[in-house]
Amino acid sequence: MAAINHPLGGARRPIGLPLPSPRVNWAVAAALAFLLFAALLPVVQNSFVTSRGFDIQASQREQAQLRSQIALLEADVARLTSQSRIERRAQEIGMVPAADPIYVTVQEPGPAPAKLPAEYLPDPAPTPAPQDSWWKSLLSWRPW
Amino acid sequence: MSIQKARPTRRVWLPAFFLGLFGALLAARLVQLQVLQHAAYAAQARNELLGDSTLYARRGAILDRNGGVLVTSVDTWDLYLNTRAWRDAASRETTLQKVSEITRIPRDQVEAALASSPGVEIRIAVDLDYDLGQRLIEADLPGVVLLPNTARIHPEGDLAAAVLGFIGLDNTGLAGIEQYYNDILQGKPGRAVYERDTLGDPIPYGRYVATEPVPGDDLVLTIDRYLQRLAEQMLAEAVKEHGAAGGTILVMDPANGEILANATLPSVRYSTLEQDLASASEARSPFKNITVTDTYEPGSVMKVVTAAAAIDAGVVTPETTYVDNGVVDVEGVLLKNWDDGVYGEQTMTGVLQHSINTGAVFMQQKLGTRLFQSYLEAFGFGQKTGVDLPGEAAGFFRRPEDPGYSPVDVATQSFGQSISVTPIQMMQAIAACINGGNLITPHIVKARILPDGSRIDVQPTVVRRVISEATSDAVRRMMGEVVAQDPDGWGRNPAHYTAGGKSGTANIPVWGTYTDDQQIVSFMGFAPLENPRLLVLVRLDRNRNLLTGTQAAGPIFARFVDEALRYLGVPPEKGTRSSAR
Repeated sequence: MAAINHPLGGARRPIGLPLPSPRVNWAVAAALAFLLFAALLPVVQNSFVTSRGFDIQASQREQAQLRSQIALLEADVARLTSQSRIERRAQEIGMVPAADPIYVTVQEPGPAPAKLPAEYLPDPAPTPAPQDSWWKSLLSWRPW
Repeated sequence: MSIQKARPTRRVWLPAFFLGLFGALLAARLVQLQVLQHAAYAAQARNELLGDSTLYARRGAILDRNGGVLVTSVDTWDLYLNTRAWRDAASRETTLQKVSEITRIPRDQVEAALASSPGVEIRIAVDLDYDLGQRLIEADLPGVVLLPNTARIHPEGDLAAAVLGFIGLDNTGLAGIEQYYNDILQGKPGRAVYERDTLGDPIPYGRYVATEPVPGDDLVLTIDRYLQRLAEQMLAEAVKEHGAAGGTILVMDPANGEILANATLPSVRYSTLEQDLASASEARSPFKNITVTDTYEPGSVMKVVTAAAAIDAGVVTPETTYVDNGVVDVEGVLLKNWDDGVYGEQTMTGVLQHSINTGAVFMQQKLGTRLFQSYLEAFGFGQKTGVDLPGEAAGFFRRPEDPGYSPVDVATQSFGQSISVTPIQMMQAIAACINGGNLITPHIVKARILPDGSRIDVQPTVVRRVISEATSDAVRRMMGEVVAQDPDGWGRNPAHYTAGGKSGTANIPVWGTYTDDQQIVSFMGFAPLENPRLLVLVRLDRNRNLLTGTQAAGPIFARFVDEALRYLGVPPEKGTRSSAR
């Protein structure tokens, strides 16, 4: 069988068809993205709220525990400063009730009242600047 | 081709009718359930789904005038066991064993509590320590339910228990300050609403709507815990020494009505509260503070009021004299002196010094019935003082318009019989006699501290002017003469301070008459004389040794004043070893 080694007459060489270029329909893409975002938003929000709720509940529990511990500590302080406890402790370290006290009458004036450190005193009132004499004020009118 | 139409036969329309009827009934039932009864079923569903619990607000603390804590609150737990939560015997056994170990409640007691109630959730303990509850929560045992609660702590023990009072299981005040200021102390409880599972436990992350509890205000009392302790110790010693059934030491600042100490016996004690409540009676009730709830006849202390009224009205002066014959005839009834003595010519100051009944009647008769009783009313007798303690009695004295009135009544009222008063009323009246003449409402709360730390001070309330300032000065000096004479050496005169005072010895009326073997003795005094800082009432009830007010109560007054004024930093006026430099 003879081989045909030339192009067939009459028959055109097939021309490649131009493929449609991949054009992105941005409007559709944006709509899809928006829908996707809208669908995910409640999930994200829910997750965020749940996580926050968990944190808040944990903080509330911690706050309640701290409040309770503060109250317990306050009660401990109150017990430790009660009169009976102070009396017991005083006896333990060898203190005894005071006998009849001796009062000393001093004829000299008492010490001057303690002064507050300067940082606790109110700011001193600003002293007004001395006013210029009238003839100096005239000089301000000079043109030079 | 023609379509043959099916004829409606019974085989068709009968099922169709019943199906239609069934559909209609179904629809009607749905309308009934979902529309007409929607609210009821929705509420029922909510009730099954949602649980709620009360979040107790922290009850405010009660402090003494210097900030010392008298009562405070700590968080606790109420422990319940839910028997339905145990799936098998092993689970039950483990839980009970662990609960008993942690709470230190004997296992038998826990079993007994479970057996005593057919319910599902059974209370095992109230006010369990906070730390123990935390350990139970960490142990995560099935069926263990812990509800938050608060408990009251009294760091000073039984000190001032009659004043402070106590609260019930529902955290509501039942007596004393706890009752009177319950609304202020208890705050506003919050509410937690949560979705729950079949066991009633909150579903994690389920809906949780809570109104936060608002803590109660703290109260600062006028009570000074040191003076209160001193008063209670002295009263207990005196009751024992004189074989008395009870007594009172009441201390007030006469200038502003602040009560500095209020010691009473019998009194509620926190350490024996359960037994006290079980054995409560009308005469001996842990709910009472007898300084405001119980009345008595004040006896001769009332002569001070009679003298103040007579001097203020201008019918006598401290130097006015009269002759005492030992007896006075009032409408045919002979009224004698307390010791049957005859004192001859006496001034009005002498009447107070010797406590002469006929002298008091002399002053009352000078005033006349109406004027004398109008002074009694002005001094606050027969009406409540308005002190901020619960259960105050008004007292009573018979007026001419009252049934059974006799002129003898008003005569005996002048020396403290036929008139019933409360100790707090007597304090208020005598305070007016020595503070310049103003009747001031006694009060026991000095300030409120709000949860934000701001403080609201309670200002003294002047009810009215009763006597003039000059009269008040005169009466104060007359009372000073009473103490200064100290004729019998029983020590009613303080060692280091000038003072004034008056004793009273009143027999207790029994079935309309007086008996000599039952009496109430008292001493009402103040110090220092010129600028009184303290007004003190010492009262002993039914002292078996039958000593008089001067003899039994006077020395207690003197010792108390010496100690209390030294504590308050008042320089001594006499009897000290001082050296001048």
